[in-house]
Amino acid sequence: MRLSINWLKHYVDPKLSVDELAHRLTMAGLEVEGVHAAGADTVLELEITPNRPDVLSVWGMSREIAAMTGKSLALPRVKAYKPTKDKISIAIEDKKDCGRYIATLMEGAVIAPSPAETVRRLSAVGLRPVNNAVDVTNFVLMESGQPLHAFDYDKIAEGRIIVRRAKTGERIVTIDGIERKLDPSILVIADAHKPLAIAGVMGGTCAQITSATKNILLESACFDAGLVRRASRALGLQSESSYRFERGVDFEGVLLGANRATDLICSLTNARVTRRTDCFKTVAASRRPLVVGVGDIEGLLGTRIAPAKIKMFLTSLGFTLRPSGKNIFRVTPPSWRGDIKTVADIVEEVARMAGYDRLSEGLPVIKAVNIRVDPRPRAVKEAVARALVAHGYLETVTYSLMGQNDLEKTGLAGTPVLALKNYLSQEYSILRPSLLPSMLAVAAMNFGHGQKSMRFFEMGKRYFEGAERWTLAILMAGKRDRDWRDDREYDVEVFDLGLEQVLRQAGITGVDWGKGTYGGLDPDITAHLKLNGHAIGALGRVLGSVLKNWDIGIPDVYFGEIDLEALFILPKPEVKYSPVSVFPAMRRDVSIAVRNDVPYARIRDLCLQRDGGILTGMHLIEQYTGEKIQSGYRGLVFSLTYQSNDRTLREEEVNAVHQNILDALVHDLGATLR
Amino acid sequence: MWNFPQILDQARNDLASADDASSLEACRLKYLGKKGLVPAIFDSLSSASPEDKPTIGKGANDLRVLVTALLKEKTKALGALGGGTPCARPVDLTMPGVGPALGHRHVLTQTMTEICDVFERMGFVVVESPEIETEFNNFTGLNIPIDHPSRDAFDTFYLEANDPAAKGRNLLLRSHTSPGQVRVMRDHQPPLAVIIPGRVYRPDAGDASHSFMFHQVEGLLVDKDVKFSDLKGLLSEFCRRFFGPQVKMRFRPHFFPFTEPSAEVDISADIFKGTLRKPWLEILGCGMVNPKVFEAAGYPCLSGRQAAGQYTGLAFGMGVERMAMLKYGIKDIRLFYENDVRFLKQF
Repeated sequence: MRLSINWLKHYVDPKLSVDELAHRLTMAGLEVEGVHAAGADTVLELEITPNRPDVLSVWGMSREIAAMTGKSLALPRVKAYKPTKDKISIAIEDKKDCGRYIATLMEGAVIAPSPAETVRRLSAVGLRPVNNAVDVTNFVLMESGQPLHAFDYDKIAEGRIIVRRAKTGERIVTIDGIERKLDPSILVIADAHKPLAIAGVMGGTCAQITSATKNILLESACFDAGLVRRASRALGLQSESSYRFERGVDFEGVLLGANRATDLICSLTNARVTRRTDCFKTVAASRRPLVVGVGDIEGLLGTRIAPAKIKMFLTSLGFTLRPSGKNIFRVTPPSWRGDIKTVADIVEEVARMAGYDRLSEGLPVIKAVNIRVDPRPRAVKEAVARALVAHGYLETVTYSLMGQNDLEKTGLAGTPVLALKNYLSQEYSILRPSLLPSMLAVAAMNFGHGQKSMRFFEMGKRYFEGAERWTLAILMAGKRDRDWRDDREYDVEVFDLGLEQVLRQAGITGVDWGKGTYGGLDPDITAHLKLNGHAIGALGRVLGSVLKNWDIGIPDVYFGEIDLEALFILPKPEVKYSPVSVFPAMRRDVSIAVRNDVPYARIRDLCLQRDGGILTGMHLIEQYTGEKIQSGYRGLVFSLTYQSNDRTLREEEVNAVHQNILDALVHDLGATLR
Repeated sequence: MWNFPQILDQARNDLASADDASSLEACRLKYLGKKGLVPAIFDSLSSASPEDKPTIGKGANDLRVLVTALLKEKTKALGALGGGTPCARPVDLTMPGVGPALGHRHVLTQTMTEICDVFERMGFVVVESPEIETEFNNFTGLNIPIDHPSRDAFDTFYLEANDPAAKGRNLLLRSHTSPGQVRVMRDHQPPLAVIIPGRVYRPDAGDASHSFMFHQVEGLLVDKDVKFSDLKGLLSEFCRRFFGPQVKMRFRPHFFPFTEPSAEVDISADIFKGTLRKPWLEILGCGMVNPKVFEAAGYPCLSGRQAAGQYTGLAFGMGVERMAMLKYGIKDIRLFYENDVRFLKQF
């Protein structure tokens, strides 16, 4: 809201510099966003919170400033007009939509431009002067906060005002010259035939005041806040009126505004009041006082404020206080403070006037909290992240929203997704079911900036019907290092070892790899990560066609995704010390050739099954494929370590177990010893 | 028979005069090598008379112990002088090491962790709360009525999916972390001291300071006799720990439907060394929990007079991006989600 300092000074003189005044207002919760010069005047740009419609006016601000500074407030005396016997026909179809409607008929008006002072004040706060009748409605709106509307009475068919819902298909041309389609969710002011105005939002051209107008019907009313808000939103039309109605206008202010405007219109246009009708059903419920003790205020603020001060602050803001026992008051808020509903609201008023910065400060006592938070999710996430950072991965944070197009580009089209109803753009219209598109977008952007080697990870959520699941995504591409000492390219084995190590860091062992597929990953180079037989993730090489869709010019990009939620529910691994053997270990190397389709995991499991109680370690040394190996076969060299905790092993004993393993390799897996 | 005293003396002399790696090696070979003196003495045992055997055995052993000890001592001494084994290639310890450089946590994760850590050390518990929420938790339970302008500040993305618990209402993406308060109060009784971090969503067109997705950290403390002075003290202490002890703060009245009294906290821009134009920067919103929120949560509390032994509470919320932008001088919020390597590596 814009507040003219010159206008303000008609009612209160704060005797403060503009900067000081702006600071004091900000510190009282009426935030000054900017200070502008407007000719000889200065205008404050205020950011008023939605709970304070009462200060959306010069009078409201004057009252606050007077209370804050202790200066006297001099609001103008407003002549009271009484309803006349001769009634204006007003029909309110639903009193819930319109709590009060005051119509005043003024006859014999001479429409002309407004006096210079009125024009100056309106222009300072950004309102365009129109004529001496319309300008009064705007002037009083800014001054008192009560929205008003002036109709050309002679254009109101049958002189009847009907407050009703619009009919389906009804149209109105609003005074901004735009034709608007109405429907029954919108409240209108109509005459016998047609809508004249959108209630609380904007008037129509059909009954607007022109230079030819003789008789003016002034409307001062109170419309349902929600109704005005919905209409304003539906029509995409916000006005000074709708802004105030949405926040709620003062039932008493409807009469005050009507009287003030009637007075000014009559004096400016030389019209005289011939009829006045005040139509309301509900008398504003006299407000129940709140019982507030000085101790209540101290109890919530932690600062003692003297009873005399409390009384002074509240009284100057328009509250009525009656003593009700020692240091206890019965406090009645003024009609314009609809936001005051509880004792806490009154405490805030006192605190605001005292100044938050002057209230005491101390540290709270924080008791042990009886909320048992499962420590596993965080422990797992932290351990995994630590390990990944140690492996050189950069953590990313990407949007949880994406578009169907991202899924299509990634080979994930058709994945069930949660869709947004009111998305901003197609690009961000669904919740992601996979982190692969997110990571590819990051890779593509960085590739575009010349990055050829990358390692990224993210711990974010994937979203499904009824679930959002923490997920780890890893992407890597390019060379492991950038110098001659280790210039190998990443390959899938590096990747899976890395992942296994990372999980081990988090205390997760016993994961296994099995064949599997994942949209967007090459089915020949994709594995599922399994835990107790269930797939909890996938890992593999991104398809060339997908990379092409994303404009990533690196041939081998590896991606892995693990459902962290599956890891969270694993019990914390129990770590038990196993004594380090004091007896010597014996190491035997094994070199075999096996068919390519025999996975290492089978070889490993077979060795471990025949451990004879003394096999304590197995370590892969080398994989060999080449001329010396029959095609379709690969050579593997690994070492087996034998050791006992209670004796030095004898040569023969080791030989027997070792031979048993070798036999099994040959017999069960068709391996040849080399 | 061997003249052991003389042999030992000779050994001492030999080693004393050795002054480089090669002469030490020569000494080692002379005494301990395969064809050296010690093996020769041991070999002579087989042909010695039984009464000489102990003397010879002991002598050989003494010699071995002596030479070994002196060699060790001498090698160490030479090493300290800069001798030692000559290297095959030049050693330059300032050469970059081999292996991947360390990675980095994202600056948002770091900032979020830092914020949570401050409060955890004061006794708060970090809890998670879902991003997909109901209208009740996001609005109604927080005293934000439908069709009220106070909802404007919380423009919200709705999902196509319906809320299974509320007929005709859609699920939504939480527009703030405050629904976490509603959940915590539904499931637990006071005393409460919780921190709720996470992602939030608002349909704001993106620019340098707006994003449709961002992160918040929410705090809630509920107990008997929690006061506004506690709120001030707690958040002042937080600011000092997060921004440094010299930070200046101010609390000004504000409006949030779920707190009363409510405040916004500003910090002075001067700690950022003149990079910002405004003198005060808003960093967080806070207040005393509105009794209506307790009511919605089913907590015993009167909206009338405060009676002794009643629960009161304080709540606060801050934007993680905003805190990081201020702390690190980041001018565009979009940089966080772009994930440019050159950005990520700076933190």
